Amino acid sequence: MARNTVGPRADQAWATDYYQPSPPADTRPAPRPGTPKAAKKPASDHGLQRRSPKSRVDEWMEADFKFGGSRIKRKAVALVLLGLPAPVPLFFMLPALVTLNSNTFAVSVDDTLGTGAEICLFLCLLVTPMVTLTGQHWFVPLRRWYGIMMAATSIGDAVAASITDNFAGGVFGRLAGHVFELMGFLMVMLVIPIVCTSNPWAQKKLGKYWKRFQRLTYVIWGLLACHLMLLEGFGFESGSNGSGFAGDGDAVFHQRFYQYSACSLFLLTLRLPPVKRWIADRQKEGRSWLVWVTVAPIFALFVLGFVFILNEEIFKGIDSFMNHPSAE
Amino acid sequence: MTTEAYPGAGRPGMTSGGVIITAVSCLSALLVIAALVYATGIGQRHTAALAAADCEPNLSPSGQQCTTQPMMAAEYAAMLAPAGQQLTTDAAAYTANEGDHLAVAEAALTAEVAAERALGRSLAAFPFPPAIARLAKGLIQANQARAGLTAEQAASSSLTRLRSFNHQVQLADAAVQTEMKLVLAAVDAPLPGG
Repeated sequence: MARNTVGPRADQAWATDYYQPSPPADTRPAPRPGTPKAAKKPASDHGLQRRSPKSRVDEWMEADFKFGGSRIKRKAVALVLLGLPAPVPLFFMLPALVTLNSNTFAVSVDDTLGTGAEICLFLCLLVTPMVTLTGQHWFVPLRRWYGIMMAATSIGDAVAASITDNFAGGVFGRLAGHVFELMGFLMVMLVIPIVCTSNPWAQKKLGKYWKRFQRLTYVIWGLLACHLMLLEGFGFESGSNGSGFAGDGDAVFHQRFYQYSACSLFLLTLRLPPVKRWIADRQKEGRSWLVWVTVAPIFALFVLGFVFILNEEIFKGIDSFMNHPSAE
Repeated sequence: MTTEAYPGAGRPGMTSGGVIITAVSCLSALLVIAALVYATGIGQRHTAALAAADCEPNLSPSGQQCTTQPMMAAEYAAMLAPAGQQLTTDAAAYTANEGDHLAVAEAALTAEVAAERALGRSLAAFPFPPAIARLAKGLIQANQARAGLTAEQAASSSLTRLRSFNHQVQLADAAVQTEMKLVLAAVDAPLPGG
């Protein structure tokens, strides 16, 4: 009989337990009935203050299937497949690292790893809105994974830039010689403590402060806006003086700040407590269709922005991989 | 942010969350429609922008859609720099040893031949536009002749024989320099029709 030879929980090691979705910021213990506070405000009437029951998809994902003599959870496979793209930006730079090709690093590491880190950040931030919309939780572990990969990619970007960039002023000048670089440098400085505390031990040690501390990710999100704004003249520079290439026919789509804004609108709106409550209320009323109809244009805008970020990552990444970097 | 009904919304079911998400949704829908309208003109804008930016469609060494004059000049300079450096080093090694160390001088010349042939291959692979390609062909031929002569010199059996090639090699080198200046001037200058 087939059995799991590694252990009962080996197939779900990074997929469970520690990084279950945290309760939202306004979570408070429900007051006991009869207390004045309870009389004033009924507890949990929007479905936000209690963990919702498992959805059918969550249950389906929890089920095992047999593979090569082991039993593997569907969730584990789905998480691995969804998590696989995260290290791709680092993979793109691998040939340049192995051959110590400083030209590839100098020309395209910022685009390849910087854009890669942006993608990982957005995917990390996408988890919460998707939980709000779908009520599913099986993909929540991806938040941690994408967060860690975002840190690895951005630190790699900073290290490479500090060695190979052409800016004057030594290592510090290359890292923070311009204001947009300073923003990037601050992001990396913030990401280091966040990633260092992204583990169960730190979560236990920091207790209630852990979640607050992890929310520094939102500061990184904001700094990224400043970084991209300053990088391309507040979104007005394009062609050889900004994003895209000199003969670009769709410069607006290639503006990094516009891409960022298109993606962030969705991620931000679905984080607002009143919007979350509105969605929870509609779902409770059985009018999920209304939620989907309302959210569809915002999500379409997110996809539009994200597709162009991915496009840039793929093309510049492949150029970097071939050690023939694109200077666009 | 509160859970109370939004005071200006007019109907009881409309909360602040509803107002926010509806407004953002409408804005997003407008932006998506604007993006689609903008996307319909990409083709014409692309053609116009390529022409306006002096892009050379045949100059795409890294798969870029647009290579401009300065980009090509930079690529060309980047290709020449390491070859020039290597040739200078080898020539210095030869000059230092041509009087008394046959083996060392020959080794320097062999390295010079390898560098000259590598330069020839790089020049042949460089995507020169048609107007410059003719000049580049002259440079490649001159470089080939110089490499042949240097290879012959490297096979010399004595120091006297080795030095007897010096004048011919200098002439071949001067020919390469002349051709190189012509190509460099053409690469730096605006392309015909640009």
